[in-house]
Amino acid sequence: MKNLITIGLPSKGRLKDKAVAFFDDKGLKVLQSDKERNYFATIENKPNIKIIYLHAKEIIQRLGDGTLDIGISGLDLLAESEKNLQDKINIKQKLDFGSANLVVAVPDDWIDVQTIADLEEVAFDIRSKRNTRLRVATKYPNLTNNFLISKGVTQYKLISSLGATETYPFVGSSEIITDITSTGKTLNDNNLRVLKDGLILESKACLLFSKKSINKIKVLKI
Amino acid sequence: MKSKKLSEQIIKIFKSNGFVLSEPDVLLDSEYIIERSGENFKRSMLTFENEYGKEMCLRPDLTVASCIKFLEKKSKSKIYYSGQAYRRTDKKGSDLVNDQLGIEILGSKNQPQDDFKIIKTILNSAKSIKSKNIHIKVGDIGLFKRLINFLDMPERWKLRLIRHFWRPKYFEELLKRLEKNSDIDSVTFDTDKKRFFEMKKMEQEKVIAGRSISEILRRFDKKIKDPRSFNEGKKIVKIIRSFLKINCQLSKLDNKLQDFAKKNNLKKNIFKEFKSIQNLKKLNQEVKFITNFGRDIEYYTGIVFEIFSGTKEIARGGRYDDLLKSLGAKKDTPAVGAAINLNNI
Repeated sequence: MKNLITIGLPSKGRLKDKAVAFFDDKGLKVLQSDKERNYFATIENKPNIKIIYLHAKEIIQRLGDGTLDIGISGLDLLAESEKNLQDKINIKQKLDFGSANLVVAVPDDWIDVQTIADLEEVAFDIRSKRNTRLRVATKYPNLTNNFLISKGVTQYKLISSLGATETYPFVGSSEIITDITSTGKTLNDNNLRVLKDGLILESKACLLFSKKSINKIKVLKI
Repeated sequence: MKSKKLSEQIIKIFKSNGFVLSEPDVLLDSEYIIERSGENFKRSMLTFENEYGKEMCLRPDLTVASCIKFLEKKSKSKIYYSGQAYRRTDKKGSDLVNDQLGIEILGSKNQPQDDFKIIKTILNSAKSIKSKNIHIKVGDIGLFKRLINFLDMPERWKLRLIRHFWRPKYFEELLKRLEKNSDIDSVTFDTDKKRFFEMKKMEQEKVIAGRSISEILRRFDKKIKDPRSFNEGKKIVKIIRSFLKINCQLSKLDNKLQDFAKKNNLKKNIFKEFKSIQNLKKLNQEVKFITNFGRDIEYYTGIVFEIFSGTKEIARGGRYDDLLKSLGAKKDTPAVGAAINLNNI
């Protein structure tokens, strides 16, 4: 179909519900497929719009390669993606849901470490005493790198994590972590504490447009 | 090829001065390099995964690659190298591939003598090709360290300034904070004191995320005792800034440093014994001493120099006493080296 508009929405949880509600509020009522687990949906009276449910990270990728025209995903995931991908995507609007912070967290019992300045000192300590580097486990290597370097922390090594990053310091996989948190509960429950100046990024859900599709999606008025 | 002929001529001089060829590996273990140079350096490296999923990189630098070869006991200590290094930079249009031609003394026992040997050899080889308007710029990271250690300020500030001397931008940020006496870390500890006393009763060797309880408590205790409020910042920054402005002919350096010490009420002998610099008088060459110099490479620890022909830098080098140890040498292995910049010859 000519002028078919493809929208990518998060496939799970609260983010999915809020994203659907966002379109409903705009008068674009999302119609689920009869089959409960089907990944496609449509919009009432808009045969030229197709909705696909995808992993939030995938939404950024597909906006970049042009398979999606519009998407809702997290600012954190966009900011973490490679520059050439970011260059292809516009942030149309920051939305009032999906708030979460990307933070630097250390074990509770590192009572001598309260700020990034402390971390910088400890990192040098570890380096000079043991000739190893402070290991930072993260799902966000790019944002973590930029943040730490800008704060003067140089003596570290990133450990890439796919999930349950909070466990890493306590099983010997890393010393500290950076992770995304909305209430801080998971960090607390796992004996981790956010550094006082350890905020890397305030993230929200965002309405994103593929730059290539700008003309095509004007008709939608969102 | 013109450059090939030139390198052959230079290598001849290296050899006649007793330097032996080292042929470091082209492929290096990425992890090993990052362990030493830090995560941020990864951006400059050209890496790939080998068939077993291990990350490898093309050698980013022949000094580091030669050091690795030396540590594998596969090279002599007084070496020269000639080959390509591979590195990405942010600069547009800069080459990924750099020809490097240089000499190193790895495990340098006699510091002033070896420093002189390196400079003299590299100067002679550069001069054999380009002899017009030769002049040398030199600095010494060691002098800065001595000044800082002598100044009266909290220990953590001293260490910070020394650690970040090679990152001028961040260093400037630090100076500004010091000037305003605003510590980057003005937090109170009351809330944690309770936990401190609890932890004191625990098994002290217990490890929490790689650090033992005793290590954590020791640093906590030290932090409390280190003075928080500190009012001399402005005065100290003024001294540091005026030190970093010293820029003079080598022949005038003694007087200049004495003046500087006197003016700032520092001990007379604070800068004595920098033989490697004094030795350069023997070169019979125009030498300029600049305190604010050689700050772009992390691993230099002592003398640093660049040789110019007119405005073009044709060689550079310096002392790097900690590099080999950080690459895994069992004992302290001081070193000094220099390389010719073929592109400018």
